[in-house]
Amino acid sequence: MTNDTAGARYGAAAKFLHWFIAALIVVQFSLAWTADDLPLGARKLGLLAWHKSFGMTILMLAIVRLLWRLGHAPPPLPAGMSPLERTLARGAHLTLYGLIFLMPLTGWMMSSAKNYAVSWFKLFTFPNLIAPNETAFAVLRNVHDSLSVVLLIVASLHLLAALKHHFWNRDDVLRRMLPFSKPARRP
Amino acid sequence: MSAQRTARRAARLAALLPLLPLLLGARAHADASPVHYASDPARSRLEFSGVQAGAAFTAVFHGFSAAIAFSPDALAASRFDVTITLASVDSKDKDRDGTMRGADVFDVAHYPTAHYVTHSITRTASGFAASGALTLHGTTREVPIQFTFQSRAGGAELAGTAKLKRLDFGVGQGDWKSTDWVANEVSVAFDLQLVPAPP
Repeated sequence: MTNDTAGARYGAAAKFLHWFIAALIVVQFSLAWTADDLPLGARKLGLLAWHKSFGMTILMLAIVRLLWRLGHAPPPLPAGMSPLERTLARGAHLTLYGLIFLMPLTGWMMSSAKNYAVSWFKLFTFPNLIAPNETAFAVLRNVHDSLSVVLLIVASLHLLAALKHHFWNRDDVLRRMLPFSKPARRP
Repeated sequence: MSAQRTARRAARLAALLPLLPLLLGARAHADASPVHYASDPARSRLEFSGVQAGAAFTAVFHGFSAAIAFSPDALAASRFDVTITLASVDSKDKDRDGTMRGADVFDVAHYPTAHYVTHSITRTASGFAASGALTLHGTTREVPIQFTFQSRAGGAELAGTAKLKRLDFGVGQGDWKSTDWVANEVSVAFDLQLVPAPP
């Protein structure tokens, strides 16, 4: 492994944070889409309670992840990538990092604006970020919804790009983030 | 014979005469009348807190009237009579307020008001305790309250708390019968500024 790009992989903590947050995001979309179609009732309240608990979990993990990332540089991008590809990859990663903060934060503010405090799995309650305000709620709801569309698009591109690297470029980009996988050893 | 006995009895009774003022005084004290007050709506607050999806929320009733007859020296004759307009509930969210007014919660169309009336008030270490009956959603149940009473310039301040279980009153039908996402326990708190009122 003299070449630091070929063998460099993400560490266990980075992998765990990546996949755990990714799984939670999938759960978040399914909870939100299911709850959206329901009238205000106990079922909707329950689904949104889970949505909020998972969302705050993502926020806490995002903080851990950012701190981890500041101390641990990721493996470099493959040498063959064009400057445009590098810019797109970095832009997507930056956007995804931003969204794992902004989605929970706008959701938390939405709850505050509607005067429904956020409980974390009924274990403790987060303080409200802003005072109850119908207009603020409507604005925040739009922001939260719009950001979710951005997240859906960028996360899909991120996934497609990883698959493209794996199957088209046949490099290590996907493998080095996969759990339990060994780095490819190439001639 | 019988006349003599009557005379002796009269003499004994006469010996007790000096005690009469004391006796009357005691009676007068027991019969002390409470002062009559009404709550000043602009400066009074009646709220309840519940737990929804693990997080507490608080709502106030803007519409209520309290007829209070109270004096710490006349607890036996003291009495609270409070009527609450349930549609005035305000939890700072229109959706939740609408749900609470609806058929499955307060059902204000059929039960527009709640009514609380005390039947006894006693002194406690830290203030007073009242036992009384709350009628809510067509159901009457005993609800004790703890309160303090302070004379204020131009009236008095009455502040206290109570705890109740919403399902004892059938508040929460259908979906809302479950306590998974809305707790059964509800706490009530009030802080009333009282002004003198005709009885």
